[in-house]
Amino acid sequence: MVDFTQALGAGTLVGLVYALLGLSIVIIYRASEAFNFAIGEFLVIGSFLFYIFFFDLRIPLLVALPLGLLAAGLVGALVERFAIKPLLGRSPLSMTIITLGLGFFLRGCVQLIFGSHSYSFFLELPDITQEFGDLLFLSDPIWAGILSLSTFGLILFLLFRTRWGLAIRATSENQAKAMAFGIDARFILLIVWAISSACIAVAGIMISNFGALSSMSSIVGLRAIPVVLIGGMDSIVGALVGGIIVGVCESLAGAYIEPMGLVGFKEVAPYLLLLIVLLIRPYGLFGQIRIERV
Amino acid sequence: MKQRAFFVLVCVLSLFLLFSGPLSAKEIKTLSQFPMSGPVGSLPEFGWGFIDGMNWVNNEGGGVNGKKIKWFLEDFRYDPTVEVATFNKYCAEHTPDEFLMATGYITGGLKPLIDKVNKEEKIPWLDGSYSTEIFGDDGGPSKYPYYYSLGATYGAQLKILLKWIKENDKGKGNPKVALVYSPTAWGRDGIPEAKAYAKKKGIDIVAEIEYPYSATSATSECMEIRKAKAQYVIYHGYSGASGCTAIFFKTAKQVLKDVQLTGTHYTTGRMPILVCQDAYDGYVGVATRPFVDAVPRAKTPMDNPMVKMAHEFAKKNRSSEYQKGIQEKDAIKDMFLYMEGLTYALMLQKVLTDADKAGDLSREGVKKALDKMVWDFNGMFGGKKFSYKSHTIPMLQIFKAKVNMVDVEGKKVPTGAVVPITDWINVDEVKW
Repeated sequence: MVDFTQALGAGTLVGLVYALLGLSIVIIYRASEAFNFAIGEFLVIGSFLFYIFFFDLRIPLLVALPLGLLAAGLVGALVERFAIKPLLGRSPLSMTIITLGLGFFLRGCVQLIFGSHSYSFFLELPDITQEFGDLLFLSDPIWAGILSLSTFGLILFLLFRTRWGLAIRATSENQAKAMAFGIDARFILLIVWAISSACIAVAGIMISNFGALSSMSSIVGLRAIPVVLIGGMDSIVGALVGGIIVGVCESLAGAYIEPMGLVGFKEVAPYLLLLIVLLIRPYGLFGQIRIERV
Repeated sequence: MKQRAFFVLVCVLSLFLLFSGPLSAKEIKTLSQFPMSGPVGSLPEFGWGFIDGMNWVNNEGGGVNGKKIKWFLEDFRYDPTVEVATFNKYCAEHTPDEFLMATGYITGGLKPLIDKVNKEEKIPWLDGSYSTEIFGDDGGPSKYPYYYSLGATYGAQLKILLKWIKENDKGKGNPKVALVYSPTAWGRDGIPEAKAYAKKKGIDIVAEIEYPYSATSATSECMEIRKAKAQYVIYHGYSGASGCTAIFFKTAKQVLKDVQLTGTHYTTGRMPILVCQDAYDGYVGVATRPFVDAVPRAKTPMDNPMVKMAHEFAKKNRSSEYQKGIQEKDAIKDMFLYMEGLTYALMLQKVLTDADKAGDLSREGVKKALDKMVWDFNGMFGGKKFSYKSHTIPMLQIFKAKVNMVDVEGKKVPTGAVVPITDWINVDEVKW
C-alpha cells in the first residue's frame, strides 16, 4: 500500500506538469484546430528565456519568472504572426504541418544560440519535502505540482471569468460568428499562441528544475501527445485528467511492472494506455464526439 | 632527324622528371572522425585538440621520422551512418599503401564496419569505443584484429568498481549493489559481465534499473533502490552532462542519503560537477584518463605530464576558447575532450613512427607496431606503461568527487574536482 501511495503521489505531481503541457496544446487546438508539434522546442526556448533573466542577469525569482513567461509569450506571438497567420483560412492540417517544420527550425536556432550542452538549473525554492514513514515526496516535484496547478487555475480564470476569455472561447466556437460580433479573431489567435507558449514555459522551468536544461529537454514535449489524446483534444478538463493519468501510469509502471523484468516499460506504458483509450473512446475520455456530414 | 630525336629525348626526360618525384614520395595518410557538432552534442573540443596535436606533430614534433602526415579530419555529427559513409569514401579515394590508419569514436560506427575494416581493407582502426562486445572476452584481437580501443571496456570498468566495493565495504554480509543503466546498447554493454563477476565475488545485485534519457523524474527509481536496501549504486551508460544524470543525482541526494553512488567513465569528470553541483559530492567513479579540468580550471592539478601538455597546448593555440566561461559559445567546456583529441594525434605519431623505424610503413606494419607497442603515453598513467596486447589501453583509475558550493556575488556556484583514490590499475594484469 505504501508503494502504491508513493507511486500515485509522485505520478500525480509530475502529471500536473504534463497537464499544463496538455492544456497548451488544447487551447491552440480549440482556437485553430491545429496541433502544435513544436511544443518541445517552445518548452526549451521558454526555459532558456527564464534562465537568462534568473541565472544570467540574476534578477530575483519573483521578477524573473513573470519576465521569462512574458518573453516566452512574445516568442509564441511572433511565431503566430510569421508562421501561422499567413495560413489562416486554410486547412488546419497546413498549420499542423507548419509546426513540424517550425520545431526543426527552432531546435536549430536554440542549438546555434545556446549550444547542445546542459545548463545547471537550481531554483533553490524553500524545501517542502514531505516524509511520512516510508512515504517521501520531494520538494521540487511538489513545487512543480503547485505551480502547474496554479497556472492551470489562472488560465481557467482567464478563459471563464474575463472578457478576453469570453472572446477566446467565442473564437474557438466559431471564428466567423465571433468576427461578425466584432471580435478580432486574428488577434485572439495571437493571444492564444502567446498564452500557450507561456504555459509551456512554466512546465519547462519546472521540468528543468528537476535536473538540468539543454536543447535535448525538448523530448519531454512529446509527453503532451498521450496526455491530449487520452483526455480529448478539445477538452481542458481532459488535459488535466489526461496529464494526471499519464503521470500516474508512468509511475505505477515504474514501481510495479519494471521490477518484474520488463525494464523500460515505463516509457511505453502511457502509449499502451492511449491505444486502449482510443479503442474505446476514439475522441478521448472528455473529447467532443464529432459528427461530420460526408 | 637528329633534331627530332633530341626533341623526343627532351620530352621523355621532362615527363620522367615531372612524374618521378611524386611517384617515389609516397604520402602517409590518416583519417580521423570525431563528433564535433550535431543535435546530440556539440563537442568541437575533440577536433580542436586533434588539430593542434597534428599541427604540433608535423612541425615541432618532428612528424614521422621527419616525414609529414597528411591527416584528414571529419565531423561525423554523432551519426554512425556518416562515420561509415565517410570511411568508405576515403577508402575509395585513397590507395591502401598511403591511407594507413583510421580513427573513429563510437561503437555504432564500428559494428557496421567489422567486415570492411577487418577483412576487406585490413586497416588499423583506433576507436574511442569502450564496447565490451567488440573489445571484451567475446570479441578482442582474435575476432577483430584491426580494431583498437583507446580505453578499457565498460565490462572492465564495472568489474573494477565491483572489486573496489567488495574490498572497501565495511558492512556485514555481502555488499548490496543496484545497477542503474541507460536503455541503450551503451548502457547494456558490460552488464552481463558485471553480474557474473558480482556473483563470483559474493556481491548481491539487489536492483537492476533501466533509467531512460528522457526521464522527467527519478523518484520511483530511487525509491526502488531504497526498498531493495542497496548500499551502492553503479550508474552506467550516461553522459555526465545530461539532464537525466542531474535528475538522478539530485533525487538520489535526498532519497538515498546513505547510499554510495558510483559510476563509469563518462560520469566521472568535470561536467557533472557543473550540472549536478553538490549532489555530485562523494560520488566514486572509474575513468580511463586522468582528471584534467577542475572547477575552476585554474585549480587543476598539473602534476600529470599529459594533463599539463593539454593545458599548455590549449592556452597557446586556443587562448580565447580556453578562457571563455562555460556557458559561452565556442568555449572549451571540458578539457577532457580537448585532451582526447590530442591523445589521438600523439598515438598516430607514435605508431606510425614505430612502423617506419621497423621499415614497414604499411597497414600491416602499423598493425605490427600497435601489437608490439609498450608505452607510457607521455606519462599519462603516472609513469606506468601499457601494452596493446588486448587491443585496448587497459588503464583505469578510481576517483572520488569533492564538490563545495561557494558564494560568488550572492550566487552559489560549485567548485571542486574528482581526486584519485587508487593508483592506476592495469586491467590486463588484474587477477579477477
